[in-house]
Amino acid sequence: MAIHTRRSEDGRTLIISIDGRFDFSSHQSFRDAYEHDDQDVSDYVIDMSETTYLDSSALGMLLLLRDYAGGDAGRVRIENCNSDVRRILSISNFEQLFSIK
Amino acid sequence: MNDKPHLDDDALAELQEVMEGEFDVLIRTYLSDSSERLNALRSALSDRDADAFTRSAHSFKGSCINIGAPRLGALCADAELAGKEERIDDARHVLDDMQSEFAIVRELLEHTLMR
Amino acid sequence: MDEVQTDAQALRILIADDSESDRLILSTMVRRQGHDVMTAADGIEAVEGFRRFQPQIVLLDVMMPRMDGMDAARHIKALAGESLVPVIFLTSLSDADALARCLEAGGDDFLSKPYNRIIIEAKINAFNRMRVMHRTLSQQRDVIRAHNQRLVNEQNIAKRVFDNVAHTGCLDAPNIRYHASPMSVFNGDILYACPRPSGGMNILIGDFTGHGLPAAIGAMPVAEIFYGMTSKGFLSGDILREINQKLWRIMPKDMFCCAAFIELDFHLGNLSIWNGGLPCGFLLRRGATVERLTSAHLPLGVVAAERFSVDVARYKVEEGDTVLFATDGVPEAMNAEGEMFGETRLEAAVAGTPDDQSVLDAVLRAVARFTGAEEYSDDLTLLTVDVVPPADVEELPLRVTQSALSGPATWSCEYEVTGETLAQFNPLPLLLHICMEVPGLRRRGGEVYTVLAELYTNALEHGVLGLPSVWKNSPEGFGQYYAERERRLRTVGDHAVLFRLEHKTGRKGGELRVVCRDSGVGFNYTEQTQRTVPEAGYAGRGLALLRQLCDSLTHHGTGNEVEAVYRWTFDPDESEQHTG
Repeated sequence: MAIHTRRSEDGRTLIISIDGRFDFSSHQSFRDAYEHDDQDVSDYVIDMSETTYLDSSALGMLLLLRDYAGGDAGRVRIENCNSDVRRILSISNFEQLFSIK
Repeated sequence: MNDKPHLDDDALAELQEVMEGEFDVLIRTYLSDSSERLNALRSALSDRDADAFTRSAHSFKGSCINIGAPRLGALCADAELAGKEERIDDARHVLDDMQSEFAIVRELLEHTLMR
Repeated sequence: MDEVQTDAQALRILIADDSESDRLILSTMVRRQGHDVMTAADGIEAVEGFRRFQPQIVLLDVMMPRMDGMDAARHIKALAGESLVPVIFLTSLSDADALARCLEAGGDDFLSKPYNRIIIEAKINAFNRMRVMHRTLSQQRDVIRAHNQRLVNEQNIAKRVFDNVAHTGCLDAPNIRYHASPMSVFNGDILYACPRPSGGMNILIGDFTGHGLPAAIGAMPVAEIFYGMTSKGFLSGDILREINQKLWRIMPKDMFCCAAFIELDFHLGNLSIWNGGLPCGFLLRRGATVERLTSAHLPLGVVAAERFSVDVARYKVEEGDTVLFATDGVPEAMNAEGEMFGETRLEAAVAGTPDDQSVLDAVLRAVARFTGAEEYSDDLTLLTVDVVPPADVEELPLRVTQSALSGPATWSCEYEVTGETLAQFNPLPLLLHICMEVPGLRRRGGEVYTVLAELYTNALEHGVLGLPSVWKNSPEGFGQYYAERERRLRTVGDHAVLFRLEHKTGRKGGELRVVCRDSGVGFNYTEQTQRTVPEAGYAGRGLALLRQLCDSLTHHGTGNEVEAVYRWTFDPDESEQHTG
């Protein structure tokens, strides 16, 4: 498991990529990925193209990010999910909370 | 016989440094210990007790190596091997050699003590 | 630093060698390095010296008279027990077999002759560090062991408390089968079942994110709300809203509960399912066709009340149908290759269950075959509920709190629900609560609730909303019925349903008179009483039930007012025969 972050060119979007399993062991590094960033960020993108699996604590971490990003007003997109990841997100109906592509 | 020196001067010098005032005691202990070992070897041989002979030779070897008498130590190793392989005649010959080598070592060590 | 301190520390060191000169050299070297030395000339002396001197490190010659170094090492290691006392063999041995035997006897290292003081010092220091590290680890292990023991004790106490609050309710009912770990509350799984006052049952199966105490703490209010509200006659929507609100308020943002709520009415053959985040459940129609009960909602505790949806999926069920739900421990059960069981295999196991076998066993067997494990993992919870004749589950005890105080004997009240409130509020728990104040009625809570519920359903659905009950006779019509019910409720206007309750207690028992009037147009009740198929009115089963429970049932006005009289007697043994 590894977490990388980068910024969009205008600096407004923080892109967080998660490699491998996204589970409780990622807890601290996932929080560090967005909490230590500055105030310019208005949008968040979770890039799951290299994510193989997520467990329920990962869903909880996504909720924490959503809360950090402003709750219902926050802009968090989840992108490039594989079918397993997609299935887990949709069982919990997270489409209602995140824009998932 | 082997071509190792009778005494290892470096080893002795180091022992002298370590033991300081007790160096003399050590040498005297070694000399009386060694006489006993030789007697024990002699009686094991006459009892034809190869096992006791081997053990005594082994212990003797250790103390010779420690004190810095490599030639005698090597003879002990020969004796140990002969005992282990139950070569009684060889063992008797080696023991004779040890006896004469020990006489030289004793003389050299006693000389050291007098310095 | 610890290391500097331990290196400088004086140690007790035992030296055993039968050669006096060697002993002298070694003990002098070790003493000069600042340690306390005790010497021994053979193995027996060495063991005795170990007992008396309690050395921290032992230097042992291999060949010694009376007892050799290997035997002495075995004795010393046995005496040392759990603490690490390094044993270093002094040897001029060179053959590998003899060296190996020294290690087998418990030796930790060798020191060869001639002795070199630098090597001796380095070895003593290295072994002392190892000894100290071992002692530190042992102490930490003991601390951890004690902590763990305390935690286990606390968990056991906590579990007893949880078992009282979050008890398993009526999970022992003959129509329920389940598999759950006894400590499942600590791995976040919940499984509760509770009889409803009207005779059906509610079941909640769920899975909290996380493990341990946080998950168990969340389970407490869920159980309280579930059992409390179900016993008082609340329907799934109200109960789910309450649980969601509670969890949303008390739990950290990243903790929530994936759950499925199963609401069963055996009299009417109604099944309602709410699935929020749990793997797809299954409805087996008489063991033949399988319908999927997929998750349609966010889990409990994720969003605030305004965004929380309690829309249920409704199904008409009959005897022989079975509902199955599992927590994600089932689809996520893993085999040796790291592959997951998955929902496809789960569905195949459900669908492929032979007629004469239980679905629960079939699924458990399929999981065991797949994982190859002897035992099921701890966080695997699986449940099946069979639809059975109402009589099969009638004996289930209701958990309504019994009060020893005598309650009201003679009273009456009127309660009217109007307009939008009809769409948002269920008055039945409140009305039941009022009736349950009468001690003599308490043991008949189920029957009283059924009478109130049937009257209210009739008044609202047929009287006010004008829904034709015949729709409910076919599966398509059933869905249409409830969709239409939702739609019409949204535009209910200024309609109203009024209840008038009157109770009086006599010498032998009491009489509860319930008048229920709706603002609808009514219907031709004379036809109904002649037991013809109603065009608009009661579903046949509802009416039969009311007639069975009440002493009299009469229609008034245009058919928009019904009066039911329910009598009860003091003697509990007669309660079975009191129906007229």
